[in-house]
Amino acid sequence: MDLIKDSINLFADPRLFFVLSVVALVALIWKREIFVRSAVGYGLMGVLAVFFVFGLFDENFALIIGKPDNVPIVALIFLVVFFTWYSMREAVRNDQRSAAGEEIIEKQESDRVWVWPDLVYTELIALILCSAILVVWSIGLEAPIEQPANPANTPNPSKAPWYFLGLQEMLVYFDPWLAGVVLPSLIIVGLMAIPYIDTNPKGNGYYTFNERKAEITLFLFGFVVLWTSLIVLGTFLRGPNWNFFGPFELWDIHKLEALTNVQLSEYVWVRGLGQALPENILLRESVGILITIAYVAVLPVALAKTALKRYYTKLGAARFYVTVMLFLMMLSLPLKMFTRWVLNLKYIVSIPEYFLNI
Amino acid sequence: MADKKSVGHAYNIDFLNVVFAASSLFLFVTVVWMVWDDFDREWKDYQRRFVALESEVTQLNLLAAREGVDEQRLEELRSGRAAAEQVLASSQRQVDELDDQLAEIEADLYLANQDYNFQKADYDVARYAFEEHLTEHPEDAAEERPAIDAMYDRWIELGLEVETLTAQRDAVRAQRSEFTSGVSDADAAIGEMTAETTRLEERVAVLEVDLINDYLLNAPLLDFMAPSLTVQQTITENVVDDVNFVRVRKLDRCTTCHLAIDREGYEAYPQPFRTHPNPDTYVGSASPHTLATTGCTVCHEGMGQSIGFVHSSHTPTGEEQTHAWEDRYGWEEPHLWDYPMLPTNMTEASCGKCHQETVYVPEAATLNMAYGLYERAGCYACHKTVGFEDLRRPGPNLTKIRSKLTPDWVSTWIRDPRAVKESTWMPRVWYNSNTSSPEDAKRNEAEIDAAVAYLFANSEDHEFAVSAPPGGNAERGEALVSAVGCLACHIAEGQTRLEAGPRRTFGQPLQNIGNKTSYEWLFDWVRDPKHFSSDTYMPDLRLTDQEVADVATYLVGLTGPAGRTAEATYDDAYLEEVLFDYVSSILPTAEARALVDDMSVDEQRLDLGQRVIGRYGCYSCHEIAGFGDTQPIGIELSEEGSKLLPRLDFAFVHDIPHTKVEWFKQKMRDPRAFDRSRVLQPLEELRMPDFGISDEEATLFAIAISSFQSNVQPLAAHVPRSARHDALQAGRNLVRRRNCIGCHEIEADGGDYVALLDDPSLAPPLLTPEGAKVKPEWLYAFFQAPIPIRPWLDVRMPTFGLDDGHWNTVLEYFAAISETVGPFRTDDPVTVAQLPAEGRELFELLRCQQCHVLDTIPADQPTDNLAPDLRMASERLQPEWILEWLREPLAIQPGTRMPMLWTELPNSFYPQFGQDGERQMEVIRDYLLTLRGGPSPLRAGN
Repeated sequence: MDLIKDSINLFADPRLFFVLSVVALVALIWKREIFVRSAVGYGLMGVLAVFFVFGLFDENFALIIGKPDNVPIVALIFLVVFFTWYSMREAVRNDQRSAAGEEIIEKQESDRVWVWPDLVYTELIALILCSAILVVWSIGLEAPIEQPANPANTPNPSKAPWYFLGLQEMLVYFDPWLAGVVLPSLIIVGLMAIPYIDTNPKGNGYYTFNERKAEITLFLFGFVVLWTSLIVLGTFLRGPNWNFFGPFELWDIHKLEALTNVQLSEYVWVRGLGQALPENILLRESVGILITIAYVAVLPVALAKTALKRYYTKLGAARFYVTVMLFLMMLSLPLKMFTRWVLNLKYIVSIPEYFLNI
Repeated sequence: MADKKSVGHAYNIDFLNVVFAASSLFLFVTVVWMVWDDFDREWKDYQRRFVALESEVTQLNLLAAREGVDEQRLEELRSGRAAAEQVLASSQRQVDELDDQLAEIEADLYLANQDYNFQKADYDVARYAFEEHLTEHPEDAAEERPAIDAMYDRWIELGLEVETLTAQRDAVRAQRSEFTSGVSDADAAIGEMTAETTRLEERVAVLEVDLINDYLLNAPLLDFMAPSLTVQQTITENVVDDVNFVRVRKLDRCTTCHLAIDREGYEAYPQPFRTHPNPDTYVGSASPHTLATTGCTVCHEGMGQSIGFVHSSHTPTGEEQTHAWEDRYGWEEPHLWDYPMLPTNMTEASCGKCHQETVYVPEAATLNMAYGLYERAGCYACHKTVGFEDLRRPGPNLTKIRSKLTPDWVSTWIRDPRAVKESTWMPRVWYNSNTSSPEDAKRNEAEIDAAVAYLFANSEDHEFAVSAPPGGNAERGEALVSAVGCLACHIAEGQTRLEAGPRRTFGQPLQNIGNKTSYEWLFDWVRDPKHFSSDTYMPDLRLTDQEVADVATYLVGLTGPAGRTAEATYDDAYLEEVLFDYVSSILPTAEARALVDDMSVDEQRLDLGQRVIGRYGCYSCHEIAGFGDTQPIGIELSEEGSKLLPRLDFAFVHDIPHTKVEWFKQKMRDPRAFDRSRVLQPLEELRMPDFGISDEEATLFAIAISSFQSNVQPLAAHVPRSARHDALQAGRNLVRRRNCIGCHEIEADGGDYVALLDDPSLAPPLLTPEGAKVKPEWLYAFFQAPIPIRPWLDVRMPTFGLDDGHWNTVLEYFAAISETVGPFRTDDPVTVAQLPAEGRELFELLRCQQCHVLDTIPADQPTDNLAPDLRMASERLQPEWILEWLREPLAIQPGTRMPMLWTELPNSFYPQFGQDGERQMEVIRDYLLTLRGGPSPLRAGN
């Protein structure tokens, strides 16, 4: 039993957790015909259910899962897995039909139904059920009165509301102005920009994967891997001092993590060239600045000329560059995480003199 | 499949109907559940149960009250009433007529009253309109004036009418009562006799279960109107909650369930319905801490707003209660409230919130005991604590150690003090839970040797006052030690510290003292303690040199266990390594190495000794050469009780509940426990020494520490400051810090010495009434040079050698206890010539000198009947006090043998002065004041 728990704790390490999430996503897309089988879908839900039930017998796990604040996140795990599986199943079915020259499922359905009773009635039922569930929920999980807020005694860990935990996780890797201001703004702007960028009518009103491979893969990566899993990770696996704890580990306030991260400038000057850091800030950070410029300015142009030439011609310059910028920004998070894990890289550009860190 | 363009159904409607029905039913059930969940509260059950209990108690009270009613008298009154009723019946016709008249007049009066009030209202409106008009348009207002005045006149007229009608009504009523007075008088008399039973009967009726009041008004959804079950709360006037950004009045809802907390008669019922155990001091309306001003949680802590057992964070006392609560209430460790309730045996810790900087709080025996231990253990020496500053170092002066002790003995002693003297307060610095491994032993020995070497190398010489002391007799010495009062501060026998208490461990236990020091030193010390240590608290008992020799001979014969021997050996290289550890913790490694290498082995040992003493803070308790005013090593504890739980480091100690109280207790029981399972370098280890604290002592220390709180409560909640308050506070602290209360009972505390005597009449006197009793100038002289007041007593008042500031503190303290007017009082000396002849006669009759000394000690009296020399009265006693004493001796001194001679005041059994008791007492007093020639401390100095 302890062996199982220990190995689960081991897999919950953020590096493994993230890498496994990415691998799972790739496997899911690559072997989607297998993934969409009912046995796999229900099997996944079953495995999850068994995992949570099994976990509840563990004191530490039960404490974290059973916290009223965290219960919705448990539901979120089930819902995300289910809907990913369901939509993928529908998409694969349609793709198989198209390949066989058949009409897709949505085409066969009547596209007009009565407002009453079909729409209004189902809405009413949904309303009733939601109300009833909320009532039961609020009776079952009481919100306790806690001690008066004390600025000298903040809770440890101090956690953002669950929907911001993805952002809070980013704070581990990025400077607050990036993780708290620039990246969230870009997410909002990016979501607003989607209708103007994605003018492709394919996939409208029906499930498909083959017709929108890149878009769906990107979305699954951004939403499921980057966003949802960071929320899950932030809720269940981040403990006191924002340290990492496996699901069966005691949240011991004394647990330590060695913070031995190194700036890129230190890599270049001290470790690479074996000399002291230059006095001049620009010189000191020159490599990082060059890399950053290359990433945001040169890379999109290069991509337009080479690998993504087809997209460039299809989308036009404006759409292409906006899309690529948004994509690169999204990709910066996993890249930064990766460099942190592999190279202990703290910041690419670090100018604490002006509170500028990238 | 339906045609693509046609309108169809997405779902089977019949199926949707079923889903709709099922979900509606589900919603209905959840709403009902919600209402029930909101309705079904723990506290309502308690209130329902209390109604039943109150009914039961009230009925019992009713029975008792009925017993108290004089039935015979009641029957008489009832028959009298019946007779009066018959008389009334005979004149029924006249009464009816008067009733008719009265009804008519009252109707008229009602109407007249209404007219009168309405007229006033109309007049006020018109007057305002006129006033306003007059201000805005003075030119044309005058013409409206008559109308206003007319309204006023009309109002006066109507008033007259009311008065006339009232007079008429009263006249008719008077006429009527002429007929009915017999009956109504009887009713009043019966009512007076049965007032209590009637009140209780009414209460029983109210408490009876009633469909509307108990069910309908308390029913779910109807209980918003006027339910009989309601949340009870007190918003305290004086005490506040600190919610970090602001302080708000406390809101305590505890009485929602603790319904009888301030009611008599529920003392024997189980919680939550029990009466407060001390309603005279707390909660009671006449107590200094009423429910309305003080509430509950300022003392008990916990979340006052909550009305649930668990959420209000009740804290169990002991494991048994913990398990019982877990089963009964689903109790769990409260972690959502910063200040959970104190276990009931620790509630007195909260006194310190308002009663600050005092080591004695009236009525708080446990807290006083806790402060006693806190001082005795010398906690304040290492841990700065407000209220305990500027005290003498608690341990003996070590600057002259060479004349007193040998290095071997000191090593054995500090290796494990309790192995030498089991009741000592000297803590164990080495061989504790984090320094007991074989590797530690080597380091321990090196440090012990170094510390001892430093002490002896830095010792001054001491010249004994008597160079060749005479020999003594141990038996006589033992008798002296147990007779003159040594045992009030020292224990000799194998008592534990807890049994002996803080007062009898005020001085070092005498156990094993023969192994510790020499006869010469003991002789020198007992003869005059201040000769060796000028700031010692040990007083001088004025023994003769021969008596001192006897005592010293006895003490030197008190031997005991040899103590703990060295458990490891080490070589010079190891000593150097240990010193290097110390030095390199403050200097760069190379420098440290150079410094250490430059020293000889002896220098290394002495240097290490100084560093060891500095690290363990020995100098906080002992005066040691070379440490001067070095800061103590412990953290300040002045606000430790307010510290929040996350600030306390439990490290890897998981086997105790993670609460503040348990942390404090664990720290006291084993101060190094929080090093358990940790990997630490020797100098990183915890260093608080081990006092060998028992569980019981640990609780007391936890109470003392918890009582040191940040100052949150407003001044209005504190005891009002006044000169008397300050005098009480300073005095209370002083008589404890000099251990006066080891011998004397003061303010119902102390006097431990009495318990050591077979005959309590031979004990040092009770000092509570001293301020009212004794003249301050006499007492001051007595303090300076005590004389025997009762020569047959063996125990004697020592000479303390306090300065005038301290003696005045004591005098002011005694004055404050007795609330005397002050040191200066009119005192007309009485002369023999003024005394009436009958006075002498009465004095002879009372035979005072049968027990009281009058020059000679009365023969043939057991010592417990003897009383002080009456000739001292004029110099010593306050004249008013003598009267009080004669009036009722037992009220002043419980247990006294002094008889109450005037039992029939203001009359008297004795024939003199027309049997006027008051006058007799005054004459006796005056007679006593004419007596001269008794022993006196005042003349001793002249």
